[in-house]
Amino acid sequence: MQANAVNSRRSSRARSTLLGRIWQGRLAYLFLLPSLLLMGWFSYYPAFTALTRAFTDWDGLNTPNFTGLENFQRAVSDPVMGQASINSAIWVVLGLFLAVVPPLVVAELIFHLRGPRRQYFYRTLFIVPIVIPSLVLLLVWSNFYRSDGLINQALGALHLSGLQHGWLSDPKTALYSLIFLGFPYIDAFFLLLLYSGLQNIPQEVLEAARLEGATGLRRVLKIDLPLLAPQLRLIALLAIIGNVQYFISPLVLTSGGPGFSTTVPALLMYNTAVKFGEYGYAMSIAVLLFLVVAVLTVVSQRLSKASEGRA
Amino acid sequence: MKAASSPGEWIRQAILLLLGLLALFPLYFSVVNSFKNPVQYASSLLNVPAQLHPENYAVAWAQIAGPMLNSVVVTLVSVVLTLVFASLSAYAFALMDFPGRHLLFGLTFALLLIPEFLTLIPLYLQIKALPLPSNYLAIILPTIAAGQAFSILVLRTTFENIPREILEAARMDGSGHLQTLLRVVLPVCLPALISVAIIRLIPVWNDFLLPSLVLDEAHRTLPMALVAFQGGGASTLTTPNYGALMAAYVLSAVPLVLLFMFLMRSYIEGLTSGSVKG
Repeated sequence: MQANAVNSRRSSRARSTLLGRIWQGRLAYLFLLPSLLLMGWFSYYPAFTALTRAFTDWDGLNTPNFTGLENFQRAVSDPVMGQASINSAIWVVLGLFLAVVPPLVVAELIFHLRGPRRQYFYRTLFIVPIVIPSLVLLLVWSNFYRSDGLINQALGALHLSGLQHGWLSDPKTALYSLIFLGFPYIDAFFLLLLYSGLQNIPQEVLEAARLEGATGLRRVLKIDLPLLAPQLRLIALLAIIGNVQYFISPLVLTSGGPGFSTTVPALLMYNTAVKFGEYGYAMSIAVLLFLVVAVLTVVSQRLSKASEGRA
Repeated sequence: MKAASSPGEWIRQAILLLLGLLALFPLYFSVVNSFKNPVQYASSLLNVPAQLHPENYAVAWAQIAGPMLNSVVVTLVSVVLTLVFASLSAYAFALMDFPGRHLLFGLTFALLLIPEFLTLIPLYLQIKALPLPSNYLAIILPTIAAGQAFSILVLRTTFENIPREILEAARMDGSGHLQTLLRVVLPVCLPALISVAIIRLIPVWNDFLLPSLVLDEAHRTLPMALVAFQGGGASTLTTPNYGALMAAYVLSAVPLVLLFMFLMRSYIEGLTSGSVKG
């Protein structure tokens, strides 16, 4: 129908009307078509499904009935969800530390090396580990954590047998073992972000700091950290959002157990849907998580605007 | 000035070297243990065995050759098509004028805000219900879609920064938009295309959640095969053949190692240049 309308108006005054301009831009729409179709069908539509079906008793087979806020009430009062939320909060707080501090320390150490060749060598050294597929890293670490694994062997060798145990099978240590998996926690992307941030500090600023006697740790605290604030905020935001939704290691290594000690809301969402077929309830958990992510994003943007205003 | 060998410099280098090697330790652990038989494995986890057992690699290869091929197919096709479609869209957004340009770009950009876990389950059911000519497409199509927002954003910025004279010259020669894209824009922006390709390649190669939901046994990818090989669960009593298991881990890293031997420099430059600041 629209095509007919376009054709009929195509003649003399076509260029000035909206339909005429749309016809003029037809090649552009053709260029955009594959991307828009894919994004529409595989991103926007599933997101729409999630947001709307969260308010239904969707089971994947029958026509979903609208149930209002029932799923959300169930999620909020579910004790498993409570435990999962606490686990997730611990994960987010500790994960934030692991995302910021080790890459920052390494970026500073590399930046203070003398000579660009040496800096290039060490920068490369810390990026090479991305060739280890992420699941291999998880599986090798689960091997370290086994009761006959490397960590317990090392503790035995150090005469600390008292500390030996099944790291992932003890509910007291399982969650922390997953969070602290992956030593030395130097994310290549975060490292490069901080390192290029350090490189962008103007030479005059560093020179002035040196003349005022600010060297070593004092320089880091007084000069580097304030000037790295944009990068640090971005890393913090990415780490928080990433950890809120992360559930691959509990899924693959512990299935959320023992008990619910390593269950996080995202895993609960996955299991509720995939194992138990309660898709409507699963979507309400997903929507709650989405809200958390959205609020955290907005708050952090506000905070960074506010701190820029003060500077 | 003996700056180059001051004590501070040595300490910094020593710490960096130690941390760097620790980050690579899982790779060392997999390699040395991949050559051990179960007895050697049980006696020590750290040494290079006196007698090597390369036959572990044959066992591992039998398990993961198919998934490895699947992973290569899925990753290459996804990344190449991501670039093709994103280049077309980025060209339209950067260098063409049409009604709704800002709206459509806004819709593309907004996708960066939709997290994966929100769409995972609906996508799974949607794809299961969709008759596709090949099971590969069940992961390839959503993977291309998931890469569009980021790739279009980066490429649009790159395309916008092409000097106008070059584009003008192409137009004077009577070249249409598609020709300009193929003959002028893409060759000029090759470094950016390579960066985007590598940045997308890593997560696609590592992707586990959606593939494990939508791919069947014959089309399963490497991460799925590794998890299945391990047998899952940390505290199972059954002891798998660890040598072969480690050999499978090593083999699964080989394609990335090869890739990075050639492209490490572009990867670093891509990450440190303006391309990911948006």
